[in-house]
Amino acid sequence: MLEYIGPALQHLFTVENFLWINLGVFIGSVFAAVPGLTVILCVILFLPFTYKMTAIPGMMFLLGIYCAGGYGGSVSAILINTPGTPHAATTMMDGHPLSQKGRTKAALKIALYASTFGGIFSALMLLFLGPQVAEIAAQLGTAEYFMVCVFGLTIIAGVSGKSMIKGVIAACIGLLISCIGADPMTSYDRFTFGIPRLYLGLDLAICLIGLFALVEILAKAEKKPGPLLLDTKKMNDDGKITKEEYKRMLRPTLLSSLIGVMVGIVPGTGASEASWFSYDRAKAMSKHKEEFGHGSVEGIAAAEAANNAVTGATLIPLLTMGIPGDGTVAIMLSALMINGLNPGLSLFTTQGDIMYAIMIGLIFVNLFMLFQGSFLTKLFAKVVSIPQEILTPIIVLFCFAGAYSVNKNYFDVGVALIFAVVAWLLRKLDMPPVPILLGMVLGNMTETNFRRALLISNGSPAIFVSSIYCIIFVVLIVLAVATLIRSKMKEAKAEGKK
Amino acid sequence: MKRWMDWLDEKRDTIGEKLSKKEMKLPIDIVTGVFFLLLGAVILLIMPKQVPVSDSDVINGQAFPTLLMAVMMICSGVVLAKELYNIFVKKMPPAMKNINLLVEVKALEILAILLLTYVICRVTDLFVVGAIFCSLAFLIYFRCRKLSYYAITLTVAVLIWIAFRFGLNVNF
Repeated sequence: MLEYIGPALQHLFTVENFLWINLGVFIGSVFAAVPGLTVILCVILFLPFTYKMTAIPGMMFLLGIYCAGGYGGSVSAILINTPGTPHAATTMMDGHPLSQKGRTKAALKIALYASTFGGIFSALMLLFLGPQVAEIAAQLGTAEYFMVCVFGLTIIAGVSGKSMIKGVIAACIGLLISCIGADPMTSYDRFTFGIPRLYLGLDLAICLIGLFALVEILAKAEKKPGPLLLDTKKMNDDGKITKEEYKRMLRPTLLSSLIGVMVGIVPGTGASEASWFSYDRAKAMSKHKEEFGHGSVEGIAAAEAANNAVTGATLIPLLTMGIPGDGTVAIMLSALMINGLNPGLSLFTTQGDIMYAIMIGLIFVNLFMLFQGSFLTKLFAKVVSIPQEILTPIIVLFCFAGAYSVNKNYFDVGVALIFAVVAWLLRKLDMPPVPILLGMVLGNMTETNFRRALLISNGSPAIFVSSIYCIIFVVLIVLAVATLIRSKMKEAKAEGKK
Repeated sequence: MKRWMDWLDEKRDTIGEKLSKKEMKLPIDIVTGVFFLLLGAVILLIMPKQVPVSDSDVINGQAFPTLLMAVMMICSGVVLAKELYNIFVKKMPPAMKNINLLVEVKALEILAILLLTYVICRVTDLFVVGAIFCSLAFLIYFRCRKLSYYAITLTVAVLIWIAFRFGLNVNF
């Protein structure tokens, strides 16, 4: 590891990298602060810009967006009681009440400090755990890899929507879409319907533009466009956090960072699960339970530390096995692969200097987030007030230009439009889109390992329980399914009582 | 121009008022179950034509999609069976989703703007023309009357084209 640190720092410390980090952090903070615009949408829209960059600035830019998205969502959650991102809903529980007590700046500061701590903790975990996990991953065979993919897909299917079964159906659709094009083992064309362009398959970025970005434009039909006014005058308090409050923040911040890392490392989960779980834990362990929901500093710190602690941890399965920890990093996989960086142990050995530069860079991303958050939060709030009338066509144009620029043809723009319509229809059926994304990302890997394993075993499915790793994953899948079903039943019962 | 926009808004208000009261109830789980059951069956039916295989393959290219469709059809069956059990045995009303006609018509309007932008870009082979149309169409859709908004949006549209065309070398 140490032999890579020196060259990695040389790669990282360039003006270009720091400019891209800051630009990413700024864009991510603004996007996440606008309710309705998500971090995943932001990463999709700006992905084409990274195609012209080398690996380190490209990843730094996307990681800047990703990490700042964790904090940015809290700005609107605290100021106007509307979460900018889904996971900021937890921050809102105490952030807005504290703001109503005239301590808006203090609430924003607590969110920023906790986010930075969680983010740096997570980046350090990635730095130390990443290479170890990669070594374990190198021992996995085809059957074990297939089981890891199934595990990731099961989790994401379970946590994405209201119904786990609908999540599984959505994952199957994603996996089926990944089958379009040349067969990965025989090169025969599949599901191309005589369209030659489909032989190379559907590009992930193009499908995602339709599935996540253009569908949001169609969703404008559901909302009445109103001005989103973030009153920056509210931010005129001194923002002072007392010693006592710092002390109270310490334990939930530490614990939530740990929870965030543990949740993030599980393929398919994300910031929302980490935030809610940490918030509940912090509440259960607090000496001031009565303050939760009424502006508790511990509540804000727990939620924010957890959602940013997910950021580095989600990269661990991505960089070591090619299995994304959440939907947003799934998109980053294409930015890595376009630069010839294929996940796995080799990434940490043959391209160790680049990999360590990215991992150390994540620490700096969080530091710049702290810097920008300290001085530019008022500006974020003002940018957020861009009217929908102006923002909507701009997003559409980014989508069209982004889809076109992947292969430089309008066929891809048409594909993105078709995916938008499909996503709109699936939304009507309450089908979650994230399992489709994960299915598309993991499709090739899942199928190749499934078929290779069966080839090795001469068609016997017993190979999927033939090693200790396989058995561990089978047990994990069963446990995950049982836990998810139990929690869904509890939710349904609670809803029934209401 | 102002008169034309007033006329357009008035028309849209009249139609909107009528449509906003019209709601459709969709038995969501029954529709989901039936739709994906049928989709799975159709894909299994077209599989032999769409996925060529060789006799020498131990595990051929149809194996994985067939497995997926089997899982999808089983899940759809479970969704359907659960809903039918609730209706006929538990005597519970089916899960319904309200579909507001006004929302769907508005979504179609947006889709029309997107499709027209796509067609204009494709026919003229000039992204900037489509970009200008798209910006104007959305501003009219949102009933925007502020000239400054038109100026800002059109400027940004042209800037996006310049960024992609000259910054990223995307020739469109």
